[in-house]
Amino acid sequence: MATQQQAGGKIKTSFKQKLSMLAPYVKTRVMDQIKAVALIITYLILFQTIILGIPIAQAAVIAIGLALVIGGLTFFMEGLMLGLMPLGETIGLKLPQKSKLPVILIFSFILGMGATFAEPAIGVLKAAGSSVKAWDAPLLFLILNKYSNLLVYAVGVGVGCAVVCGMLRFLYNWSLKPFIYFFVIVLSAFSIWAYFDPNMVFLTGLAWDCGGVTTGPVTVPLVLALGIGICRVVGSADSGSAGFGVVTLASVFPVLAVLILGTMFMGSVPKPMNEADFFGPDNRKAASALFNNKEEMYSYAFKNASAKSQIALFDGESGKMIDYMRRLLTDEKERTKIFGEKSDALYKWAAIYGTKEQQLAVFGSIDNAREAVTKYSSASNERIDIFDILKRNTQAAAQAIIPLSIFFLIMLTLVLRERLPRADEILLGLTFAVIGMGLFNIGIELGLSKLGNQVGGKVPSSFKAVELTEQKKTISNFNPEVVQSAVTQEGEKTGFFYVKDNNDYKTLPYHDKQFNPDTKQYTYIPTKGPLFGGIIGIVVVLIFAFILGYGATLAEPALNALGLTVEELTVGAFKKSLLMQTVALGVGFGIAIGVAKIIWNLPLVWMLAPPYFLLIFITKISTEEFVNIGWDSAGVTTGPITVPLVLAMGLGISGQVGVVEGFGILAMASVCPILAVLCVGLSVTKKRKAALKEVEQSTQKEVAA
Amino acid sequence: MENSKKVSKITAILNRGAAAPIIEALSDHGITDGHMAVGRVAVLQEKKGLLGAERSIIVEDPVEIISFLISQECAESALFQTIKTGGLDVPGRGMAYSEEVNLLQAHALCVENKAAAFKADAEFPLLSDIVGICCIVQRGQGNAVARVALDTGTCVPNITFGRGTGVRDKLGLLRITIPADKEVIGIVTNKDDAEAVMNLMIDVGKLDQPGKGFIYFYPMNKGIINTKISRGMPKHAASIEQIISVIDEMKGGAKWRSRSGSAETEESKRACLLGLIDMTLICNEGRGEDLVKAAMAVGAAGATISRQKYFCPPGSAGSKISIAREFCNMIISEQQIPTMLDAIGKAGAFDDKTHGQVLSRPVPKACTYLGKK
Repeated sequence: MATQQQAGGKIKTSFKQKLSMLAPYVKTRVMDQIKAVALIITYLILFQTIILGIPIAQAAVIAIGLALVIGGLTFFMEGLMLGLMPLGETIGLKLPQKSKLPVILIFSFILGMGATFAEPAIGVLKAAGSSVKAWDAPLLFLILNKYSNLLVYAVGVGVGCAVVCGMLRFLYNWSLKPFIYFFVIVLSAFSIWAYFDPNMVFLTGLAWDCGGVTTGPVTVPLVLALGIGICRVVGSADSGSAGFGVVTLASVFPVLAVLILGTMFMGSVPKPMNEADFFGPDNRKAASALFNNKEEMYSYAFKNASAKSQIALFDGESGKMIDYMRRLLTDEKERTKIFGEKSDALYKWAAIYGTKEQQLAVFGSIDNAREAVTKYSSASNERIDIFDILKRNTQAAAQAIIPLSIFFLIMLTLVLRERLPRADEILLGLTFAVIGMGLFNIGIELGLSKLGNQVGGKVPSSFKAVELTEQKKTISNFNPEVVQSAVTQEGEKTGFFYVKDNNDYKTLPYHDKQFNPDTKQYTYIPTKGPLFGGIIGIVVVLIFAFILGYGATLAEPALNALGLTVEELTVGAFKKSLLMQTVALGVGFGIAIGVAKIIWNLPLVWMLAPPYFLLIFITKISTEEFVNIGWDSAGVTTGPITVPLVLAMGLGISGQVGVVEGFGILAMASVCPILAVLCVGLSVTKKRKAALKEVEQSTQKEVAA
Repeated sequence: MENSKKVSKITAILNRGAAAPIIEALSDHGITDGHMAVGRVAVLQEKKGLLGAERSIIVEDPVEIISFLISQECAESALFQTIKTGGLDVPGRGMAYSEEVNLLQAHALCVENKAAAFKADAEFPLLSDIVGICCIVQRGQGNAVARVALDTGTCVPNITFGRGTGVRDKLGLLRITIPADKEVIGIVTNKDDAEAVMNLMIDVGKLDQPGKGFIYFYPMNKGIINTKISRGMPKHAASIEQIISVIDEMKGGAKWRSRSGSAETEESKRACLLGLIDMTLICNEGRGEDLVKAAMAVGAAGATISRQKYFCPPGSAGSKISIAREFCNMIISEQQIPTMLDAIGKAGAFDDKTHGQVLSRPVPKACTYLGKK
C-alpha cells in the first residue's frame, strides 16, 4: 500500500487508476442488487410464461424497467450507507448531548410527520383506494377519496407520536414490551368492535395496511440510524437492541389514528347498499356526502356505475340523462369538471363505456357512433409518456429525501451548531439516494408493477377462468349467422362460433352482449383457465403467493438496511442473511394466508387476532433484543417492492373472486415475520443457554473431582 | 515522553450480559472508569455433514469487552477480582489479561483508576509469558483468520469491528470505492507459539499481499485464557480444556505445550517490521477522524478506529466525558511519538470537547504488505 504517497497530501490518481478502483466498487454493488431481485423477477417471469403459459405483454418496456430497478436500488442502497444513515446517526449522537428533552421530542415529532408526507407508498394505498366502490364501502371510499388528505395527516400524527415515544424509550431505557401489549390489546378490541359495524369493517383493513406502508425505505434507515446514535450517548441504553423499536411503534400508532379517524366519520356516511339504491333519490343526500360536489358524483357514476345506476342518478328518468349528455357537449365547463381536461374525453368515454342511448346523445347519429367506437376501441390508446413518468418519479424521489435531509442539516448546523462530518461523502450519498430512488420508482412503475399486475391478475386462472383483457380482440363485419348452437349436459342452449386465427380454427363462446349490431363488431376477450381447477388450483395460487412474498421481501431495501444494522450492532453475531431469510419466510407465509383470506372471504379480524395473541405470549418470553428486532422487521417488510406486487395480486384475486377489497394481505404479511423472528430468537437464546449450561456442568464436574 | 507513566491495562472478554456485574464489583474497589465494546467470539461446533462426515463449523456468540487502566500495584488484585466475579477460571466464560502500557498524555479526567491497594476475593493461577496478537483484515475475512486460533487450539478468538483510515483518506471522494470497514481479531497465546500462530494467520489471510490487512503482536503481563474452542457435549470424563488447564496449573505456565518447533514455516523469508509502537488515542466519538488526520499529516500511515462506550458512576467527574468514545490505533515508530503527540495536541486532542487519552504499547513484530522488494 505504500506507493507514492506523500505525508498528508492527496494522492493523485490517473484516469485509468480511477477506473480500476471504480470498476470493482460498482461491480460488487450492482451484483448485490441483482442477487437481491433475481429471485422475484425470474420467478414472476417463469410463472407467467411457463405455469400460466401466457406471453408477457410489453416485454421490452418491462425489461428496461427491471434494469432501472436494479440500477436504482444500487444507487439508493449506497446513498443510504454513505448519506442518509450517517446523517441520522450524527444527529442522534449530538441531539441528547446538546439539547434539552423538549427539543428532542419536537424534533422527533416533526421527523415522524415529515417522513410520512414524504413516503411514496402512501400514494400507492391511495391509488388502491380508487378501486373501492362507493356503494360497497362508503366509509372507506370517503376516507380514501374525499378525505384522503385527512388520512395522510392522521397517519402522520400517528408516526410523529411513534417517533416521540421511541425516543423517550431510548432516553429512559423503557422496554418495548408494554407498548406491544397495550397496542395489541387496544387495536384488537377496536378491530373486533369494528367487525360488527358494516362500514368500519372495511376500514380496519385499510388501517392495518397504513401501519405497514408508513415505514418505508427512507424512514426506516433514518429512524434506525437516529436511534442508534442516541443510544450510543445515553448511558442506560442496552447495547444489544439499541436503536430498534421505533419502526414497530411507527407501524401501530397510525393504525390507531386511522381507526379513530374512521370513527369520527362513521355517522356521516350511508350504510353499504347496492349500486342502484345508492344513486337513487332516496339516498341522494347521504350519498352526496361522500363527494365534494354534484359534478364529482356524476363523474364517479358515469365512470364506475352501471347504466341502471346512472339512470337512478337522474331519478330513474333516462330522458333526463340524455338531456344532460347533450348539455355536456356544449357546456365545456361542466364537461371538464366531469370528464377532465382532454377535449375528446367525453367521446372516448361514450365510445367505450356508454350505453347505446348515451352514444346516440353524444355522437348525434348511429353512423358517427359506429365510427367512434371503431376508432376508440381498436386503437390501444395506452402510450407511455416518458416525460410524465420521469417528471413524476423524480419529483417523488426528491420529495421523499430532500426535505427530510434539509431538515436534518438545518437541525445539525443551526440548532445543534455542529459541523457535518465528512460533508462531501454525505452530500454525495444524499445525491445517490435521490438518483437511486428516482430510477427505482421509474423501474417499479415500468417494470416490476407491470409484471406484477400481469401475473397477479392472471394467477386466479389457476383455479377459475379469467379474462385476458390486454389480449382483447375485435372482429369487424361480424355476421351473427356463423353462430352455432350447442347444448350443455343440463340441456341448456349456448352459442359458439369458429374463428380462424392464422391457420388455426378455434371455437369461441358467443355472448350477445359482446356483439354490437350497429357497428357489426364482435369484441371478445380470450379467457384462460381454470388450469388446475378446484383445490389444486387454489393451492397453486397459495404457493405462488408464498414465493412472491418471500422473493419480494429479499429485495426490500429497508429490510436490507435493517439487516446490515443488526449485523453491525451485534458485530456479526446476528447475521443479516439469517434475519432476512427468517423475515422472508414469515412474509411468504403471511401473504399466502392473506390470499386464502381473500379467496374464501374470511373475516380479517379472525385471521389477525389469533396470531397477535400468540405473539403477546411469545413476546413475553423473548429477550428484549429479539422483541425489538422481530417487531421492527415486521414494519420494514412492507416496502416499495412488496406493496405494489402484493396489492396487484390481492386486487387481482379479489377482483376475480368478487370480494370488495384486497386490503389486509399486508397486515398478514406483517404479523407472520414477527412470529418467525421471535421463534428464531427463542431458538438462538436456547442454544446459547445450552452452551453456557455445558460450561456449568463441566464446572460441577471439576468441583466434584 | 517525560510525562509518560507506566500503568496497567486490564481487558476482559465476557459473554454478553456478564460485564455489568464485573463493573459493579470493580467499582466497590474504586475502579470506576473504563470502556466497553461489543464483539463476537468464534468457536467450533461439530456438525454432521453429508455422508455422515463430521466437520467443524464456526458458531459465533456476542461478547462484551471491557478494559480499564489501573496503577501497576493494584493490577493483579483487579485482575483477580475480574476473574472471580466473571467466573473466568472456567473455560468457556471468557478471558481476562493485564498488560503494561505507557500513558503518554491525557486530559486531566482521563487517567488511570486511582484505587487504593486491595485484596481480591480470591486468587487464581495465571499464565505469564503470554502475548496478544492483533490482526486487522477487511470486513468479512475475520472468521477465516480467526479459525487459525481455533484449529491450532490456541484460544477462543474475539472479533470486533473497526474503520480503517489511511491511503483511503488521501483519495478525495474516490475513497468511497475502498471499503473502510475492518474486522479486528484478537487472540492471546503463549510467547513461544506467537510466531508460529502469527505466521499461520499471515498465510491464511494472505496478509503479506497488498490491501489484505495488518498483523502484530504485543507483550502481555498475565492472564487467563479461554481455551474452550469447541462446543458440544464432552465425550470423555474430562474435556480436553479441563486437562489443559490442570496441566497449565501444575507446570505453572503454558510453555509445555509450545509447538513452535513443529510449525516451522517460511518465516525467515518473510520481511517483517520490528520494534514498532502501537499508539492508541482514545477520544470522544466524532473527533477521532480529525485527530488521525493531524497525525497522518506528520507521518502516521493510518489508523483503525473502533467504537467504545465509556462507563463511570453517574455524577462523578468522569460523567462530563461523552459516553460514545473511539479508540484510534496507529502503528508508528518510537521516534515519531513526540511529533505525533504534538500534532494531535495542537488539533485539540486534550481539550474539553475531546477528552483525549494517549496510550502506547510496544509492538516487537508486525507484518503487512511492504511494497515490492
